[in-house]
Amino acid sequence: MSSHVYLVLVLIFYAVGALHVLLQTLTRRRLLVTSWTVAATLVGFALHTAALAQRWTEAGHFPAVGLHDGASLLAWTMVLVFLVIYTRSRLEALGLAVHPMAFALVLIANLTPIAPVADPVLKGLFLPIHTTLAFFGYAALFVAFAGGLLYLIQERELRSRTPRTFYYLIPSLERCDTLSARAVEAGFALLTLAIITGLLWSHAVHGRYWTSSPKEWSAVVAWCLYVALILARQRSGWGGRRAALLGIAAFTAVAFTFVWMNVFALPGAARTP
Amino acid sequence: MIIVIGVSHRTAPLPVREALAFPRDQLRDALLRLRAETGAGEVMILSTCNRVELYARQDDPGAVDALESFLARYHARDGRELHAVVYRYADADAIRHAFRVAASLESMVIGEPQILGQVKEAYQAAEEAGTLGSALNALRNRSLAAAKRVRTETGIGRNAVSVSYVAVELARKIFGELKDKNVLLVGAGKMSELAARHLVRSGGRATVLGGRTFEKAAELAAALGGKAAPLESLRDELARTDIVISGTGSPGIVIHEADVESARAARRGRHARPLFLIDIAVPRDIDPGVRKIGGVFLYDLDDLKTVAEANLRERLKESAAAEALVEREVREFLDWQKAREVVPLLNELRRRAEEIRRHELEKARRRIGPLTAEQDEAIVAATTAIVNKLLHSPTVHLKEAARESDAPEQLSLIRKLLGL
Repeated sequence: MSSHVYLVLVLIFYAVGALHVLLQTLTRRRLLVTSWTVAATLVGFALHTAALAQRWTEAGHFPAVGLHDGASLLAWTMVLVFLVIYTRSRLEALGLAVHPMAFALVLIANLTPIAPVADPVLKGLFLPIHTTLAFFGYAALFVAFAGGLLYLIQERELRSRTPRTFYYLIPSLERCDTLSARAVEAGFALLTLAIITGLLWSHAVHGRYWTSSPKEWSAVVAWCLYVALILARQRSGWGGRRAALLGIAAFTAVAFTFVWMNVFALPGAARTP
Repeated sequence: MIIVIGVSHRTAPLPVREALAFPRDQLRDALLRLRAETGAGEVMILSTCNRVELYARQDDPGAVDALESFLARYHARDGRELHAVVYRYADADAIRHAFRVAASLESMVIGEPQILGQVKEAYQAAEEAGTLGSALNALRNRSLAAAKRVRTETGIGRNAVSVSYVAVELARKIFGELKDKNVLLVGAGKMSELAARHLVRSGGRATVLGGRTFEKAAELAAALGGKAAPLESLRDELARTDIVISGTGSPGIVIHEADVESARAARRGRHARPLFLIDIAVPRDIDPGVRKIGGVFLYDLDDLKTVAEANLRERLKESAAAEALVEREVREFLDWQKAREVVPLLNELRRRAEEIRRHELEKARRRIGPLTAEQDEAIVAATTAIVNKLLHSPTVHLKEAARESDAPEQLSLIRKLLGL
């Protein structure tokens, strides 16, 4: 089977989790994750792994360049991170963000053509190492973003004093805050390593560490915002609303980095790394 | 056949239910009288503030009337008056009713947890009085097991519907764990005590502020395992606390916006953790203006009631799942009961077959003459095997036939065929 066929199947299996979350929210029920949505996600994830392996052999390089491959790989890391968090803490509300996001990313991957790449830059170890670090960083920071969003929604519910759907669906403020804080720490560490390997890669290719491309700037801006966030949490006891807002702001910079990298900076000699 | 008669909050007003209630100390006597006067094989009385019900195993179809007149006679009430408010169920309907009551589907507040304990106690009392037999005991086991399944497998018991529990649940939605959270009680009223007790049980640490009646505050603090402090230290205590329950009888505002602001400012340097204020006083104790302050959540009595109502609606949504589960369990119980009806017939059949086997075996032994031990054993084994194999399929089919609606006719036909 070609990686395309695999990816269509992945989309179908991820749709189960996404639709379930959507329907449960609309019908105001409270079972965001059930054994069969977990099963569907696991099958989807296994197929997704196969799709990526297949795509790797087809492309002859690590499949992370261009929107098709980038979206697919990002969805894969997000699902993996979600499954790990879910097995450890049974945090169902995270599915609210991850299921639709994974579905949307795989849908994008299905709808976009594979970017034609013939770039010697893509050979070698920098591509898999740098992108793996970056993508797991993105996934962790997405979890932090989702935690912040859940916090803000739950805070609004509690402030309104009239419980609606999300009051029942989302866990306590404390739990959302802790999730966000942990995910920022993990994501920040990965992002730092990704930036370092990115700089080294750039030096190896262009002979200079800094090429002043927009994605470099946005990555550094995001990194600075996360430094500020972590320091504010540790030093001045920041948490809750303000931390959630800063985390969301920082994530937009991360999202820009990803989008620039995989949409605008299309493969060619001028881009990468 | 199991029969039930009774009154509940749905059929009778409180004064009537009160008049018909059986006090706990009279229950034993009432059970014994009920059995003696109605001639029922087994009886049980469930008497709570929302319902009074008499359960009996009685094969006579007129027994419901006997139960009803007993209820009137026991409490010296007019029978005709009572008849208008009493519901009567027999057989499958009675069983379904028993299951529904235990599962809290018939409760005033659907999903409330007390009824399960009350039903348990009622069966316990009947057991101790010696009026419980196999039929009611089977009903007890199956209905209680079903009620437990309903609690664990549906959301019918989730989400608090009483004001003090709602306060605790909200605290959990804000803080997650309540362990080591500081709880400040302003005023030592009944309702604040109830809410504080739930919080302390979950690991909270209580401080009680007392004004003019400091002794009362000290007393409550001791009961909650916390400390008491004078009302003047409000601002200091506010800066330390996570949850405030205010329920003074004061006519004016007790906790002003400035108090909360200064408390927030005092803790800003450290952890800007949320502050949850619960105002259960009427007139209110806490200035509603504090809602503007970041990280502060204020709920007054009306808000708590709004949440309780929303929770109740959530429960009602879950009740469909609970109804379906109870219905499945009732069906299973009825099938099981019917299958049990063939047990005497099966026993008889088996006994008869065994009798024939022994008889023929003796005859054979006499005819053949002395046998070695192995040979004798072989004959015994062979005859036993023949009987068992012959009886296997009738046994299975009889049990199946018992579930059919025309089971009695079928069973009597089988009896005739087998000459039993």
